[in-house]
Amino acid sequence: MIDNVLKIKNGDTTGSVNDLLKEFLKSKKLQALLVMQEVPSKKMSFPVLISNPDKLNSNIFAPVLPVSTATIVSKITKVESSSKPIGVIMRSCQINALVELVKLNQANLDNIIIIGVDCLGTFSINTYSDFQEKSNPTEYILDSFKKKRDVVKYLRSACYTCKNPIPNNADIIIGLYGIDIQKELLIQINTKKGKELIHDIKLVTSKDIKNRENAIKEIREEKTKNRTKLIQEKSNIKGINALAKFFDKCVNCHNCMKVCPICYCKECLFESSVFNLEANKYISKAKKKGLFKMPNDSLLFHTTRMNHMVVSCVGCGLCEQACPSNIPLMDVITPIGDNAQKEFKYNPGSDIKEKIPMVIYKEDEYQEVGEK
Amino acid sequence: MVIEMEEFEPKIVGFLCNWCSYAGADLAGTSRIQYPPNIRIIKVMCSGSVDSVYIMRALLEGADGVFIGGCHPGDCHYLDGNYKARRKAVLLKSILETLGLEKDRIWIRWVSASEGQKFADTMKEMTEEIKKLGPNPIGKYWNI
Repeated sequence: MIDNVLKIKNGDTTGSVNDLLKEFLKSKKLQALLVMQEVPSKKMSFPVLISNPDKLNSNIFAPVLPVSTATIVSKITKVESSSKPIGVIMRSCQINALVELVKLNQANLDNIIIIGVDCLGTFSINTYSDFQEKSNPTEYILDSFKKKRDVVKYLRSACYTCKNPIPNNADIIIGLYGIDIQKELLIQINTKKGKELIHDIKLVTSKDIKNRENAIKEIREEKTKNRTKLIQEKSNIKGINALAKFFDKCVNCHNCMKVCPICYCKECLFESSVFNLEANKYISKAKKKGLFKMPNDSLLFHTTRMNHMVVSCVGCGLCEQACPSNIPLMDVITPIGDNAQKEFKYNPGSDIKEKIPMVIYKEDEYQEVGEK
Repeated sequence: MVIEMEEFEPKIVGFLCNWCSYAGADLAGTSRIQYPPNIRIIKVMCSGSVDSVYIMRALLEGADGVFIGGCHPGDCHYLDGNYKARRKAVLLKSILETLGLEKDRIWIRWVSASEGQKFADTMKEMTEEIKKLGPNPIGKYWNI
C-alpha cells in the first residue's frame, strides 16, 4: 500500500481529478475509462465509457447511482474479457458487487483496473435531478463534507446504513475520508496493477495520513450504528400478516430484480412461461382459496429472489430505488441479508478468492438441519 | 350434541431424489410397509436440484410441510448434491423466520434405496410433528 496525494488546483476538486484521469488516457495506459459524467442537460450523471481524453469531463463524486456499475463491467467483459486495459471508477458497494459477479462467472477482471472512490453517499435519482439547493448536488456534497454539514435528509436509506463506504479490492483508491480535500486528495495504490498505472505520474508521497484511519473508523462506526438501528426497528416486519402488508403495493413489475447487480440470470424464472397456467388451473387455484389476487405470486417472487441473492447482497439499495410503488425493500432485505450472511460467516465482496457459500460445503456441518 | 372435530390431516409435499429416497419409498411400497398417506411425492433427479422456489411455492400455496429426501452423505449420485441441498435448506430456514413459519415445516433427511422401513418411519414421525404444528396459516391468504 502506497499513499500519494494529488494536489488540488484552484480549489477545483473534480477538475483536478479529471486532469489525472486525462493523463491515463493520453499516455495510452488506459484504452478506455468507465466513469460518471454529466449528461448534456446536466440534470443527471451516468456512467460513460470514454476513450478520448478531450471529451472527458467526469463527475466522479456525483452523489447518484442510477444503475449498477458492476452490471456494466459485467456487460463489457462477459462475452469476451478485455485484451486492452480499461479503468473502471466505482464506489465500494459496486466493487463488492463486481467481486460477487466475478465469483459467479459473470465478469472478468483481466485488464480491468478498478479505481475505487470513497463514497460520501448517494441521493435518489429524483432528488439528484431536481436538486433543491443552490449548488449542484456534487458541489453540495463535497462542500458539506468539507464543512461537516449533515446531508442525511437527502441520502438514500441504503447509503445511510452503508456497510463500508471505503472501497475494498480496488487497485487504486481516490480517498476523501480524513483528507483535507480543500488542498489534496489521497491516491492510494494497493496493487501491482495500480502501481503500473500511476508510476510515472507526478504525485506527492504523503507523510501524514494518520487522520484517515480515525476518520474511517468514525464513519464505519456511525454507519454500523445506523444499520443496527434499522435492523432493530424493522424487526417487527415478521410473520405472514406483516409481510403481506409490506408487499401490498407490489405490482409485479420485477424492476427490483432487473436493477439488482447480483440477480444475473439471463432469463428470470419469473419472466418465463413457467407461471403461465391454463385457464382451468387458474379456476382451480381460485376455488382452493375462494379467490386470489392478480397478478399472483408476488410474495413467491420476492421470497424466491431473496433466497437467490441475499447471501451476496451488497446492500446497494438499487432495488428500492427502482420500485415504482416506493416499497422500502431494504427494510426487509437488510435484516434478512444480515442474518443469512452471519449464518454462513460470509461477507460479500470482501475476498475474491473466497467461494460463495451456496457452492461449497463441509461434510460434517449443519447436521442439525439434515440429520445427526 | 357432540360435534366430532375432524382431525387435521397435514398435506406434505415431498421431493425425493431419483437414486436413493424415491427408491426407498418404492421399497416401502413394494414391501407393503404402512405409512401415513399425507405425503405427495415428486420425483427429482437430485435433492440438490430442489430450488428454493419449489419449496416456497408449496408453502405459499398452503402445504403444511415440505420433505426433501436425498442420499446419505457421501452416497450422492452426483457426488455432492445432498450437501448443497442441506446448505440451501439452511438459507431457506433463515428466511422462513421472516415469513413467520416454523423452521420445522421443512425436513431434509437421508433415505437410501434399501431403507424402506426408514422412509415409512420418517413419514410417520414427520406427519405427527406437522400435526402438532397445526395447519400452515399461509393457506388462508389470498392477497399474497
